Amino acid sequence: MAVTVEAVRPGGGLVTARPRAGSATARRLGRWAAIYVPVVVASTFVTFLLGSLSNANPAASVLGDNATPQDIVRINHVLGLDQPLLVQYGRWVSRALQGDLGVSYFTQIPVSTSIGQRLPVDLSLAVLAISLALLVGGATGALAAVRSGSWIDRGVTWVCSAGSTVPAFVVGIGLVVVFSVTFKLLPSSGYVGLTDDPVGWLEHIALPAVALSIEPGIWVARQLRTALVDVLDQNYVTGAVVRGLSGRRILFVHALRNAAGPAITVLGYYVPVIIGGTVVTETVFSLPGLGQLVLNSATSRDVPVVQGILLVTSALVIASNLFVNAALGWLRPGVNR
Amino acid sequence: MKIIRRALRLRSTRVALGLLTVIAFLAAFGSATAPYDPVHQDVAHLLAGPSGGHWLGTDYLGRDVLSRLMAGTRLSVLSALEAVVVGLAIGATTGLASVFLGRTFDYLSNRVNDTLMTLPTIVFAVAVTAVLGNRLVQAMFAVGVLLAPMFFRVTRAATLQYAQAQYVEVADLLGASRAHVIRVHVLRKVMPTVAVTAASAAAAALLTVSSLTFLGIGVVPPAPTWGGVLSSDLAYLSLAPWAPIAPAAMIMITVGALNTLADSIRDSSRADLDAVPALSTITDVNSEYGHAYGTPHADHPAA
Amino acid sequence: MPTAPLMPTTLRPDVQAVTTTEVLAIEDLQVSVHNSRLGAVLGASLTVARGESVGLVGESGSGKTLTCRAALGVLGPGCAIESGTVRFAGQDVTRLDAKAWEAIRGQRVGAVFQDPTSYLNPSITVGRQLAEVVRIKLGLPRRQAKAKAIELFEAVGLQAKVYGQLPVELSGGMLQRVMIAIAVSCDPELLVADEATTALDVTIQAEIIELILRLRDERGLAVLFVSHDLAVIAELCDRVVVFYAGEVVETGPTAQILASPRHPYTQALLKVASLGDYGRRQLDVIPGQPPSVGAQISGCRFADRCAFALDACREAPVAVREVDGREVRCLRAEELAS
Repeated sequence: MAVTVEAVRPGGGLVTARPRAGSATARRLGRWAAIYVPVVVASTFVTFLLGSLSNANPAASVLGDNATPQDIVRINHVLGLDQPLLVQYGRWVSRALQGDLGVSYFTQIPVSTSIGQRLPVDLSLAVLAISLALLVGGATGALAAVRSGSWIDRGVTWVCSAGSTVPAFVVGIGLVVVFSVTFKLLPSSGYVGLTDDPVGWLEHIALPAVALSIEPGIWVARQLRTALVDVLDQNYVTGAVVRGLSGRRILFVHALRNAAGPAITVLGYYVPVIIGGTVVTETVFSLPGLGQLVLNSATSRDVPVVQGILLVTSALVIASNLFVNAALGWLRPGVNR
Repeated sequence: MKIIRRALRLRSTRVALGLLTVIAFLAAFGSATAPYDPVHQDVAHLLAGPSGGHWLGTDYLGRDVLSRLMAGTRLSVLSALEAVVVGLAIGATTGLASVFLGRTFDYLSNRVNDTLMTLPTIVFAVAVTAVLGNRLVQAMFAVGVLLAPMFFRVTRAATLQYAQAQYVEVADLLGASRAHVIRVHVLRKVMPTVAVTAASAAAAALLTVSSLTFLGIGVVPPAPTWGGVLSSDLAYLSLAPWAPIAPAAMIMITVGALNTLADSIRDSSRADLDAVPALSTITDVNSEYGHAYGTPHADHPAA
Repeated sequence: MPTAPLMPTTLRPDVQAVTTTEVLAIEDLQVSVHNSRLGAVLGASLTVARGESVGLVGESGSGKTLTCRAALGVLGPGCAIESGTVRFAGQDVTRLDAKAWEAIRGQRVGAVFQDPTSYLNPSITVGRQLAEVVRIKLGLPRRQAKAKAIELFEAVGLQAKVYGQLPVELSGGMLQRVMIAIAVSCDPELLVADEATTALDVTIQAEIIELILRLRDERGLAVLFVSHDLAVIAELCDRVVVFYAGEVVETGPTAQILASPRHPYTQALLKVASLGDYGRRQLDVIPGQPPSVGAQISGCRFADRCAFALDACREAPVAVREVDGREVRCLRAEELAS
């Protein structure tokens, strides 16, 4: 007896198995655009504005103190700085979309080149740090949830609280003290490319990556623990037990799928931060990354470089956001239908 | 309020408040009560370890570390406070307003909020100092602006929760003015959440100040700051590996006290609402984005 | 109403030769709750034979749910089996460890619960959840598992396209069919249904009952059906076990018990729940309250609310006696024919 339409449900209307409509996706895309497009525009405009505002005297930066008034006018024209702000912004954005982020005032090196040179450093950091945070934080959080209420759980909570009081660069300094100064196991500064020397790469990147993984790791542990404790209490976990599925399967396939959301959101938040914003850790470990570059450029008023890096960071945030949303939608398709 | 009373009953609150009082005292009177002049160089004792004369040793210029830390408290604490006040002023008011001022304002304020959240903290602070002047005041103003989203989200979520409560509808029906309703009913309920966020924001701001002063931004040497002390320690790490412990400890203790305070306020105000004790997370309120378990603060203070 | 258990129409080639046709045998089960010695089930005994459907009926808190959970090994946190035995097809499972239970659950016993929506993972399609069980328990490769899942859906009256739907997209009745499909997917010997029809509309209830009966006849399933609804029990069960305050007070063939209950509580139940009247099915008109869980009472636990109580009833615990083709826990069972 095939059934396509059930009778009236208590409290509800006629219920059928709903077909998936393409228009729903279009509507969702529209809603997404209404949120993200203005943010992208505003974000890029702010970064552009900051750069322009800080530009007290670009001609002096480029030419030095002996710039004559004619030189200043000429330089301003060459740099396009005599145009109205919005026009400048428009030009900058359109060039950026084609991959041209301008040229450094001082070194004449294209900004995109400088960024490209330093990106591998931050990417290495990000990959390693996020992986560590995910694995260690995830395992700890899951363990604390499964053994909820036990001394393991309380210990994990306490460690997380204590760990959140230490800034990453202090952890970094501490690691340097232990591993570089005292035991002379790992180098305390510098960077070696992965393709040049894999072992050296790991040696140089290990300490900063560990230092950077602490904060996201703590968040992952907390979020996962809270979510998992809640999920493990749900009836569908009992249902899975009654179906004779193994504990491991229930945890990894059924429980984590529903509990991983907040933890993944947190990790997604940290990816662009580690890539574009770890100024201090790069300083501690003398890593030639984007953070160092943006700090030096901001200090010396090298505007195109600052604008370029801020743009890249904003783009990374938005990309990361998109990615996280997609992942969440894949994990829990039931939430938005 | 009963929440304050309940919070004070917890031992953790009292310990945290005690520590913060000490810090506040140091902020006010640190320079005056320090055993040595923070900039006085005792060239006979460079990078000396802890001793009877210098409880925390001396730095690379022979200056007493304890005195530098005590004197440096004011700058760090006041700067962090500045950021929190800015963040609260901008974020909390906007968050509150977004619920009552119509859909356009709501949409716009949310988009501004999102935009602020895409900007990296340290870089933004540095860029702002490039525009407004290279002092800590300007830098922490920038940090405050970037803390605003934290307050915005939390205030907005809390306001949404309470603004839709029945007693607000009733008050409205009875003819109370909008402002009165907001002040009497909504504000009182939103206050504890804002207090929790303020404590967490202060912790975050303090970490950011430490990072900025570590980088030398906004500081005019030889003025002492916690981050600045750490920075000079870094250069001489091989000669004095124990040196970073003192400034790091000061940062950790203060941040820890602030976090504990935030937790205990939250636990004390939660006791009415539901029986489940909150795990120690920094923010807790459900945001409209569906992050049911809290998310980290909007900025990233120390990277 | 048949008075003898039905013989299965299909025989299971893999079933070991057992000396008894009893799929489930619970003997003198004592279950405590809340990490205490509070006895929520006090000496319950019942059996379910192959192809037979047995109903557990009683108010909430009477111990029927805990007994059925004990049969599955899924007593909640704080609950424990204090004494007694649970035997599944002759094997003692009372103190079985988790690993051994894994082998039995899903494959030899299946379960259906009250709110199907909450017992299915909301983030995975129902088809994949069914296929998962079949794949892991029966060792089928993926494609075959999917085919079998679709076959099972059709066997319980669902369309094949249900396979790709999430639980949130299906109605309560359809989800209950999904749960039944999952429960019988590996051809178990026992189906446990805990308030399986309680959350459903009356018309859907009828369909689900019919489905369970059909599966029972086709596969020789033993069914343990827990409900507080006498009408459903009447339709579905060959034998009924009546629970009160943690004890079994009457056991016997459904037809007989409904026609002439011997225990005063059963009599009161029947008077209150007028079968066939869609309006009233509450068990609330018996004066007084059942004793709180784990209350220590000497003598009969129904005595305080019983119209026929004697002093002798309160002196010592009452044993179960065989009276008129059924088992009754009452000193005055013989006299109390209604």
